[in-house]
Amino acid sequence: MTDMAIQLKQVSYRYARTKRFVIDNLDFSVKRGEFLAVMGENGAGKSTLCQIIIGIIPNSLGGRLKGNVIVEGLDTKEATISELATKVGIVLDDPETQLFTTSVQAEVAFGPENLNMPVDEIRERIKWVLDVVKLTGYEARMPTALSGGQKQRLAIAAALAMRPSILVLDEATSQVDPLGVVEVLSVVKELNQKYGMTIVMTTDQSEEVAKLADRIIVLDRGKLVAEGTPREIFSDTALFSRLMIRAPQVSQLGMKLQQLGHPFPTFPVSLEEGYKGIVELVDTKPSPEDSVKEDKPVETTTPQNGTVISVKDLNYVYQPQEVKAVKNVSFDIHKGEFVAIIGQNGSGKTTVLKNLLGLLKPTTGNVVVAGMDINSTAVAELAQHVGFVLQNPDQQLFAETVEDEIAFGPRNLLLDEATIKQRVEESLQLVGLENQRQEFPPALSKGERAKVVIASALALNPEVIVLDEPTTGQDYKGCHQIMQIARKLHEDGRTIVFVTHHMALVAEYARRVIVMCDGEILVDDTTEGVFAKPELVRQAHIIPPQITELCQMLPLNIGLPRTPLSVSQVVDSIMARL
Amino acid sequence: MSKSLVVYFPGQTFFHKLDPRTKIIFMVLVSTVIFAVQDLYLSAFILAVMVILWMVARLPVAIVYGFLKALLPVFAFLFIVQALLYPGVTPIIKPLIPSFIPWIGGMGQINLEGILFAVLLMFRLLAMVILLPLVSMTTPVHILALGMVRMGLPYRLAYTITAALNMVPILQSEIGVIVDAQKLRAMSTFEKGSIWSKVKSYPVLVTPLVIGAMRRAQSMAVAMDSRAFGAMKTRTYIEDINLRPVDWIFMIASTIGTVGILILATKI
Repeated sequence: MTDMAIQLKQVSYRYARTKRFVIDNLDFSVKRGEFLAVMGENGAGKSTLCQIIIGIIPNSLGGRLKGNVIVEGLDTKEATISELATKVGIVLDDPETQLFTTSVQAEVAFGPENLNMPVDEIRERIKWVLDVVKLTGYEARMPTALSGGQKQRLAIAAALAMRPSILVLDEATSQVDPLGVVEVLSVVKELNQKYGMTIVMTTDQSEEVAKLADRIIVLDRGKLVAEGTPREIFSDTALFSRLMIRAPQVSQLGMKLQQLGHPFPTFPVSLEEGYKGIVELVDTKPSPEDSVKEDKPVETTTPQNGTVISVKDLNYVYQPQEVKAVKNVSFDIHKGEFVAIIGQNGSGKTTVLKNLLGLLKPTTGNVVVAGMDINSTAVAELAQHVGFVLQNPDQQLFAETVEDEIAFGPRNLLLDEATIKQRVEESLQLVGLENQRQEFPPALSKGERAKVVIASALALNPEVIVLDEPTTGQDYKGCHQIMQIARKLHEDGRTIVFVTHHMALVAEYARRVIVMCDGEILVDDTTEGVFAKPELVRQAHIIPPQITELCQMLPLNIGLPRTPLSVSQVVDSIMARL
Repeated sequence: MSKSLVVYFPGQTFFHKLDPRTKIIFMVLVSTVIFAVQDLYLSAFILAVMVILWMVARLPVAIVYGFLKALLPVFAFLFIVQALLYPGVTPIIKPLIPSFIPWIGGMGQINLEGILFAVLLMFRLLAMVILLPLVSMTTPVHILALGMVRMGLPYRLAYTITAALNMVPILQSEIGVIVDAQKLRAMSTFEKGSIWSKVKSYPVLVTPLVIGAMRRAQSMAVAMDSRAFGAMKTRTYIEDINLRPVDWIFMIASTIGTVGILILATKI
C-alpha cells in the first residue's frame, strides 16, 4: 500500500445535464496525515471536489466522472457506500442539513447503527468521539439547542464515529461565529496533529489555514492553478492579482511592501513572522513626531444630522420559552452613519434588527424609526424608510426574473408603471446587475443573488439600509462586492447598518461599532475605539483583524498606529518611517 | 425561534415513558373512535381524555390554545354554515327569509340542532389535531422510528415517515422567514389583507420554499450517504424499547375504552 490517503488521477467531472466540466483534469495526491487546504472563488469546484473525494460522486449523484479516485486504496467507483463511509467522513457548512436526530448521542450513533455495529462498540465510540470534540456531558441534549460551534463539533463527532482516516470539511466554519470558528478549528487541529488524521478542508479562513495546513491547492473553474505550502501560496503575487481569494493580512502586508521594494527578510504568513519582519524593517528608535501622532482621532464619527433610528430601553423576550434575547438596549442611529453590529450568535443582534422593522414588537421599550413608533406602524410603511435585507437571499427571491423581483416591492405599493420602471432601473444600476435583468434569480451565483435582494430593498427607496450578515456564505470576492455596494450607498447619503462576523470587513467599512454580548450592548464606539480595547472586545469572543492585532503587539516606540483598520494604512505608515 | 408543534418536548412523565408501539396503537385506536363517533357527549369525553393526557404529559397548554386560535376561523365558518343549514326542529332565531317564499323560504333559520352539530365537529377536529403532537412531542423521532420497525415496517420507510415529521418545524421557520421577507417588500396582506388576498399570496411563498427544500435535500443526501444510511440490510439500535406491564395495561385500557365507546355510540 502506498502512503497516499487520496489519489486523483486525471479526474474530470460534469453534472448530468450540463456540458461544462466543473472539475477539469485534476491530478494530485494527499499524503496520509497531511492537512490540505483547498481555496478558490465560489464556483471553482471546491464542494464538487469534496463530493468526489467522499465518493458521493459518482455513486449517488450521477453525472459523468472521468479518471480514477483512489481513497485509502479503494477506487471510489467500485467501492460501496459503507466501505467509503468508514474511510472518509465529511462535515458540511449548514448544521441543519447534517444533523437529523433529537439527541447528541443518537446523532453520533446514527452512522455506526447503519453499519450494523454491536451496541457495546457504538457506546464506546460515542464516549470517545464526544471526548475528542469536547461535548462529553451533552449526550441527552437536543442538537437544535446547541450553539453554532457546538453543532459543527457534533457534526465532526458524527463523522468521526465511523472511524474514518480522512476527514473532509467543506466550508465547515463559514456559518459559525468567531468563537465557533476557534472551537471547530482547534478540534480539527487536534485530529490532525494528535491522531494523525488526513484533513481536506475548503475554507476562506486564510489566517488559520496558514497556521494549520501543510499544503494548499487553489482551484479556478475546476482547474488546479496553484499548489504549495502556505508560504509559497500566500507570497504568490501573480496568483493574488488574478484571483479574488484571501491571503492572511500579514501576507497582504508583506506582498505590498515587497511590491514597493521593501521585502520582509522572510515572507510573513503568521503574526509572529509579521512582528519580526516589521521590527527588523522599521527602525525602533523613537521618532518624536510619529509617536506623538499615535491614536490621533481620525474624525469624530460622522456629522450628527438628526436621528433616523432611536431605540430606548428595548427588551425582547421570546415566548413561550421565555428567552430574554435583548436586555435594556438603547442607541440612536443618525443620518449618514455606517454602523456595524457585532457579537456572537445568540447575542441578540438579529432580534434587535427585527425590532427596528416591526417584524418583532418590543416586549418593553420604544423604537422610533423615521419619526414613527414601530408599534403602531405597518411593516410595509417602515420598509419604505428602512430597507432590511435578511440573511439568506434564497428565502427572499419570489419572482421569475431579476426585474420582476426588484419590481415586487414597488408593485405592492401600487406605484404607477413609469415610477416602478425607473426604480427598477436605478436599483439595477446601483448593484450592477443591468445585464442580468432577465435571468431567473435562483439560478444566479451566490454573490449575484445577494445583490438582487439588496436591489429589491433599494427599490422601496429607503434612507436606511440594514443588512443582516450579508457576507455569510459569500466568498472573498462576494464579500467585497457587497460591501462596496454598501459603501456606494453610504456615499450617496444613505445610512448603513450591518451585522457581520468578518472583523476585517468591520474594520475596513464601518465607522461605528456596536458590540453585543448576552443581549446587552457591551461597547458602542468608533471602529478604532472598539478595536483599541481588545480585552473588552474579547469578552464578546471577538478577535480584532490580524493587522490590528499585529500593531498592538509591536513596541510603542515603533511609531506605527496602534489600531490600524486596514493593511494599506500600515503600509503607508511603514513607508513614512523608512 | 419558532414554536414547533411536533418536535420532541423532553420530559419524564408516564406518557413520555410509554413504549412507542403503545403510543402508535393508541393513536390508531383514538383516530378510529374520533371518526366513528357522532355523538356530542362521547366526543366531548374523548376530547377531555386527550386534554387530560396532554396535561399528564406536561406539554405546554399554550400549544393547545395556539391550535384553538389557528382553527378559530375554520370553526367560525363551520359554525355559521352548520348552524344555518343543518335541518332542525328547535329554532333559536327566526328564519331570515320568510317561509312563504317558495324554495328558499325558511332558510337562515338557526336551529339548536345546527349549533350542536357545529360544536360536535369542533370537538372532533380539536381532538384529532392534538392527537399527533401528543405522540410526536413525547417521543424522540428515532425512538418512534424504532417502534415502527419493531412493528414490522422496513427501516427506510419508518425513517422517511419520521424525517417528514422532522421537516415540519424546519419548514415552519422557513415559512416564517419568507413571510417576513415579503412584508419587508411592502407586501401587507399578511398583516391586514383579506382572506382572499392571503390565499392569492401563497404561490409567492412556494417558489423559495421549494427551491430551499431542493437545496437542502441535496446536502442532506451527501450527509446521509457519508454516514452509511441504508447501506446494510439490517442495522442496530443503541437504544432498546421494551413493552413494560404499564404498556400492556395502557393498551388494554385504551382497547376497552375504544370498544366501550363504539358500543355506546351504536346504541345512542
